[in-house]
Amino acid sequence: MAEPGRPQPVAQPTPPGRPEPAGGPAGRVKCVVWDLDNTLLSGTWLESAGPPPADPSLLPVLAELGRRGVLNSVASRNPAQTAALLQDPAGWPVEFVAAQFGWGRKSEALGRVAAELSIGLDALAFVDDDPYERAEVANALPAVLVLSPEDVPDALGWPELSPAVVTAEARRRASAYAQARRRQDAARESGQSTADFLRWCRTELTISPATAADLPRLVELAARTHQFNSLRRAAPEPELRGWLAAAGYRVTVLRLADRFGADGLVGAAVVDTTGSTPDGPQWRVQLLMMSCRAMGRGVIEALLAWLARAAAAEGAAVAVPARLDERNVPLRLALVAAGFRAADAGPDAAGLTWFRRPRAAPPPELPEWASVATAGPR
Amino acid sequence: VTDLADALRGILAELTGRPELLSVPLATPLFGTAVGLDSLTGTLLLRAVRARYGVDVADEDVNLDALATLGTLSAFVAQRATPPAPATPAPG
Repeated sequence: MAEPGRPQPVAQPTPPGRPEPAGGPAGRVKCVVWDLDNTLLSGTWLESAGPPPADPSLLPVLAELGRRGVLNSVASRNPAQTAALLQDPAGWPVEFVAAQFGWGRKSEALGRVAAELSIGLDALAFVDDDPYERAEVANALPAVLVLSPEDVPDALGWPELSPAVVTAEARRRASAYAQARRRQDAARESGQSTADFLRWCRTELTISPATAADLPRLVELAARTHQFNSLRRAAPEPELRGWLAAAGYRVTVLRLADRFGADGLVGAAVVDTTGSTPDGPQWRVQLLMMSCRAMGRGVIEALLAWLARAAAAEGAAVAVPARLDERNVPLRLALVAAGFRAADAGPDAAGLTWFRRPRAAPPPELPEWASVATAGPR
Repeated sequence: VTDLADALRGILAELTGRPELLSVPLATPLFGTAVGLDSLTGTLLLRAVRARYGVDVADEDVNLDALATLGTLSAFVAQRATPPAPATPAPG
């Protein structure tokens, strides 16, 4: 770590072999942020007559990252007009998201990429041919996986860049982020309340029982969600498969679409309906999760409203045991907004804080753009 | 607290893009339909409060009771805030 008052990192090449920090969970990198000049491009733009061509050795790497559901972004000191180059669909096998241009530190550009995509810094990899830039980022942001262009083909074999499960939703992720960007721009310009805006977007939420076909996406969602994950951990395939099959368990999934595009399966609740308290039956939510790209689109709110209403219809209370930390504050906000309160006793022996809705409290209304299906889509 | 409440109104209006929130009353429930605080806008509000006043509401208040109304949030922040950084002007 840099000492305070030592503003500049020492410029030195990344040591040979595997750069630090190594390890971390498989597939933790959700976005690779590329430098342009002499990295993605085979040359320096401002020193060339026209834009230099893409480095041919990296095009298959980009395509492979796209297949794995890993996003690609750009942090370049070139002027913003360079962005047009990235939008040429013939030139690139993937869409670039949240690209950053201009002077300023690359570590700051990476911070903006993470913020725009709502992902953690530990979900970023950074590729730059300039050892100074690599050292600056490695020093300022130790969570980022920093690579030289020569490292990249090799890095495709590392666990950080190898998600265990890749679903259709994940492969669509880049265009989903582009949709999200258009949606956010529209929201800021509209000046409407969230509810009015979601109506204008023609938001459609479909809540239905999960089927075995949803299993890969559920595994992936559990692995990728942090801000909206009640357990703050992945759920491996056997665990989720067990929940899908268990008597008295209900796994419910939520699909999202609007005028900007379809997002697919973005949220789920795994509920054990067999429990009870002295006052009557109690549904225990084993796992509640939502993709962060569905944030601000009424999804978690609809899921919690459905949960409260479905339980109330069977005379059951609802409890959501959650592992609280600074990352899943958004989930806590959603729980509190839906009328849940944490147990006064604090976390239980397993570190879970139990959120409950008072049995007598009327459940929240399901928004009119949400529909409940009794069977999964075919 | 009045100045603080106005600054918080400014933050709310800015992060939602809704200038009418500049006049939201102190007692209006933030999670109710009038303001419509949700998990996204709530997270942005908590981040702005922490950045500007150094008060980490989520860390101290497990049920986020401070977010009940603008009045409760102003009181919570006023009790804990280190001298605030200069407030950015509210959007017009």
